[in-house]
Amino acid sequence: MAPRVVVVSLASDFGCQVQLTNMEDDLLDVLGLMDLTYWQLASSGHMPDAYDVAIIEGAVTTTEHVELLKDVRSKAAAVVAIGTCAVTGGIPALANTAGLETRYATVYGGGVAVAPGRIAPAPIDSIIDVDYHVPGCPIDTAEFLRGLSRVLQGLSDHMPDQMMCASCKVSENACFLEVGTVCLGLVTRAGCKAKCPSLGRPCTGCRGIAPDANLASAREVFARYGCDPASLASSLLVYNTAAEVTA
Amino acid sequence: MADLTVEHVARIEGHGNISVSVENGVVSSIRMDVVEPARFFESMVVGRRFDEAPLITSRICGICSPNHAVTSIKAIESALGVEVSERTKLLRKLLVYGSYLQNHATHLYVFAAPDFVGLPSVFPLAATHPDIVARALKIKKLGNELCNLVGGRSVHPVTAVIGGFTAEPDPRKLEAFREMLLDIAPDAVSTVELFASFEVPAFDTAGEMLALSSTDDYAIYEGEIAALDAGWRRPVSDYREVITESIVGHSNAKHTMVAGMPIIVGALPRLNINAGSLSAAGRDALAKAGLTMPSRNPFHTHLAQAVELVDAAERCAGYIGRLLEMGGSSAPVPFKIQAGEGAGATEAPRGTLYHGYGIDDDGFITRGDVITPTAQNLANLDADMRAFAPTIADRPRDEFILLIEQLVRAYDPCMSCAVH
Repeated sequence: MAPRVVVVSLASDFGCQVQLTNMEDDLLDVLGLMDLTYWQLASSGHMPDAYDVAIIEGAVTTTEHVELLKDVRSKAAAVVAIGTCAVTGGIPALANTAGLETRYATVYGGGVAVAPGRIAPAPIDSIIDVDYHVPGCPIDTAEFLRGLSRVLQGLSDHMPDQMMCASCKVSENACFLEVGTVCLGLVTRAGCKAKCPSLGRPCTGCRGIAPDANLASAREVFARYGCDPASLASSLLVYNTAAEVTA
Repeated sequence: MADLTVEHVARIEGHGNISVSVENGVVSSIRMDVVEPARFFESMVVGRRFDEAPLITSRICGICSPNHAVTSIKAIESALGVEVSERTKLLRKLLVYGSYLQNHATHLYVFAAPDFVGLPSVFPLAATHPDIVARALKIKKLGNELCNLVGGRSVHPVTAVIGGFTAEPDPRKLEAFREMLLDIAPDAVSTVELFASFEVPAFDTAGEMLALSSTDDYAIYEGEIAALDAGWRRPVSDYREVITESIVGHSNAKHTMVAGMPIIVGALPRLNINAGSLSAAGRDALAKAGLTMPSRNPFHTHLAQAVELVDAAERCAGYIGRLLEMGGSSAPVPFKIQAGEGAGATEAPRGTLYHGYGIDDDGFITRGDVITPTAQNLANLDADMRAFAPTIADRPRDEFILLIEQLVRAYDPCMSCAVH
């Protein structure tokens, strides 16, 4: 029997699900490998009670999300987190740099209270065990397909530990830091093949901080090339938590 | 009929519920509850560096991220007084239209069409109508590839930055895309014919229709705000005076009004206001669609989107022709970081999108403001549901729900955008 797959979305911009729909050439082939039981974005069916793989996009921002995740974990043999929102909290977690009360007051005016059930944005694996992570804002579809095929074969998680900087050297891109432009590639998780620098734009750190990253050393490198060392932590905040960027 | 709630309406972008209350057999209230949790983008950009605004706010919506990116860039450029080259403008138009092809094809075929053939999703169509699904994927794919070509990526483009582009497409690839665009023109015409063959309810909205309008081009990248009924035109810099936002209890998205009236934006208002700017192929498509302009029927949004597909294919092929001939550069122009206030607007696939920012002397953002197409449409969608529901209240429950859902989907709502 083909594995039964559900796609679930929490707080996100749906961009990673859009990336899934953008696999026009591969989508029908991939669908042949699995029984796509529930995909709210594309179908008016209802969430089933039994499935094997749950693909989850988005950060956790409500108690409803927490309950949903616990329910999904109790039913799915494998949970796959797709996109940086799900993996690190991503841009939704940028809200954590101020309290929720401040956020509500700024956007909705002083009189509006924090909604019941609203919680500080967090990554999925702060709530449940995640079997496979596909980072990126948005995800790269080839990396997702490799991950999905590993999941369907029962293989282990496979996120790169190294930094993006090395891929950029392999691509023979000119270094942004050397000309005093802030680039986060020296601490950001590899796996994107230096997509942005290869297109002339510095790394914005969308895959999160790599486990092998040395932030203290990166601050020294920033200083050496005339970039304000404090801008490393400030720039990393877009996709990482305050605790992570000052480590 | 009893009270009912349709939770997490399918085949729309984001999370929204339809709530219907019935008293003595009569629909006493009906509305769209936007349950998407608050997202705080306008607050999260405050204190960030000016060039992070497009990066962050493009994450409002993964479905129309090129439109958010371009609109945010324009607003920052307006605040800093940056003037970009004609070449940059043409490339940005291609990026915006890439998003149109992708979004309109997805909305028409994946979100809307299943309703008209009685299916829960587009997937079974792959078995019964492979030609239709192939056509949908072809248009959608070309839209994505156009965004890839110009922006480096279809979801969250990489190369579009303040002042210009960090990389340009290879001219040979541009040339190839001109051919591919002309090649999908017949598919776009078939899309018009397909949707013209679907019967839609006879229903007129009372809302005021707004769209950008320009004498130079079918306005998607720049223009003035134009009102169909009231007939006024206002510069985009006045958008905060024109559009008033309010907070409503049942929605994390604000509602908007213009002069106390609910408004409608999107393909239908655009076509109603700017039909005179259509390309020759677009005018032919409009004739094929059989629409009498102006149309006030929100269910005609599908046809208006299909006509825009035909127009876009021809128009984008023309832009590419000019890019190949004109020379010049799209490299980011130099600019000075200084304090300022700025507004930018474009026509996103779902309607007019506004971004506004304040920037301090050091380039940090002091104020962020975004008004999305769906946020503008929600009050009118509620008004339309209130007017439409009594006309179909005698239908069986499932048919009633389907028709209301169809009305919602005709607005092509994006709840993620609405709650930004």
